[in-house]
Amino acid sequence: MHIAEGFLPPVHAIAWTAIALPFVVVSAYRVNRLMREQPQVKLLLAASGAYAFILSALKLPSVTGSCSHATGTGLGAILFGPSVMALLGTIVLLFQALLLAHGGLTTLGANVFSMAIAGPWIAYAVFHGTRRLHAPLAVSVFLAATLGDWGTYLVTAGQLALAFPDPVSGIAGAVLKFASVFALTQVPLAIIEGLLTVIIVNLLHQNSREELDLLAFAPENSR
Amino acid sequence: MRAIDHHAWSNRWRDWHPAEKLIPAGGLLILTLVLPPLSSGPLILAAMAWATVFGAGVPARALLHVLAAPAAFLLLSAPFLAISISFTDGFHWQWSPQGWRLALETITRALAAVSCLAFLTLTTPLTDLITLSRRLGIPAGLVELILLVYRLIFVFAERAMTGQQAQAARLGYARMDRSVRSLGWLAGTLFQRALHQARRMEIGLAARAYNGELRVLGSERALSWPRLSIGIVGVGLIGLNGAWLAHTLP
Repeated sequence: MHIAEGFLPPVHAIAWTAIALPFVVVSAYRVNRLMREQPQVKLLLAASGAYAFILSALKLPSVTGSCSHATGTGLGAILFGPSVMALLGTIVLLFQALLLAHGGLTTLGANVFSMAIAGPWIAYAVFHGTRRLHAPLAVSVFLAATLGDWGTYLVTAGQLALAFPDPVSGIAGAVLKFASVFALTQVPLAIIEGLLTVIIVNLLHQNSREELDLLAFAPENSR
Repeated sequence: MRAIDHHAWSNRWRDWHPAEKLIPAGGLLILTLVLPPLSSGPLILAAMAWATVFGAGVPARALLHVLAAPAAFLLLSAPFLAISISFTDGFHWQWSPQGWRLALETITRALAAVSCLAFLTLTTPLTDLITLSRRLGIPAGLVELILLVYRLIFVFAERAMTGQQAQAARLGYARMDRSVRSLGWLAGTLFQRALHQARRMEIGLAARAYNGELRVLGSERALSWPRLSIGIVGVGLIGLNGAWLAHTLP
């Protein structure tokens, strides 16, 4: 759920940019150093970034009738880890703003925070948490992708509520308003994306172990 | 995606220096945020639409298409600014008068801001904007990474489309469960192909003594000060006008 260009009041737009900036700068610094040490990483990252963009442009089978897209947040966090996702996600969101007019430049900070920082960290934590509890790979992947999506949309609802508190019931009421209206589309969508991510990871797990090892993704004891 | 990129590369102002388009559009974008939206928003929207359609010669349909992109988000969230709920004694909701105004202001501001973004993306190829970002102190390596992502997006988009057509022709999207499975296979295969592509580029570049730097021939364009100053003066006039309108209107 991209917050549209110009939707947030200036103070909020600036504040979210300031909050997102350190994460992106640290991620950019790390990636840049990695690229200088191993030049071939640049090609791998570029391919991954372009892939993430295409993934987010694929139309999901629609449940509610609206045109809906995958976010790729969960898959990205599982494959690349959240620290790389902060930069890759920012690049993807920038391209979505400039090539598709989804999201925008003034709301880039807020969107980066919900989709490239909060979502991936939640997905990553859920994935590794459930793996440690010896959950089967498919279950971990499903939970990571679904909860990552839900986390993302709750953060977006929170950002909108902070910007536009309800005149009577304040921020809490506004969170409830936005969360419930987004839930109509986002709850089923996140479940579909969870299933989708399981299929993708299963396919990769069967057919391209080397590449996954290259990305430091190692589901030690498979299923 | 293709439509925006197509117009960016083929409009009348394509060969202008990117700063001549970025600075006025960015200036107006900032004005949409700082000025009261109801008075200055329509002005900015009109100015940007005029510049896009009559200045750069982008078809009005393309512009409307871009302006409609955030429509779903606006329709879904803006009405909820006009509703106020309370739980003090049971659950109540009502239309709130300030809420109406806020919703109207937010929609106007968003549309004006999207028009600035639309102008920028419909008239300026992304590679120009990305190259310009090197001036902002973004490391050269990252700029190269972003440019590579941009080029690969179109390669992968074509593959995704071909794959989806092939699946659809085999009734892969005939039912809900099949759709999810087909899409999962498509996405998984695309990822394998993406990694494969990266490896092939790596080998190809290694054979050409790649050491971490990709040299491409950029087009050097002279910055036209007259055009840039006209743009800046235009933004200034719109800003003054907007501020004056905000002062005189209730």
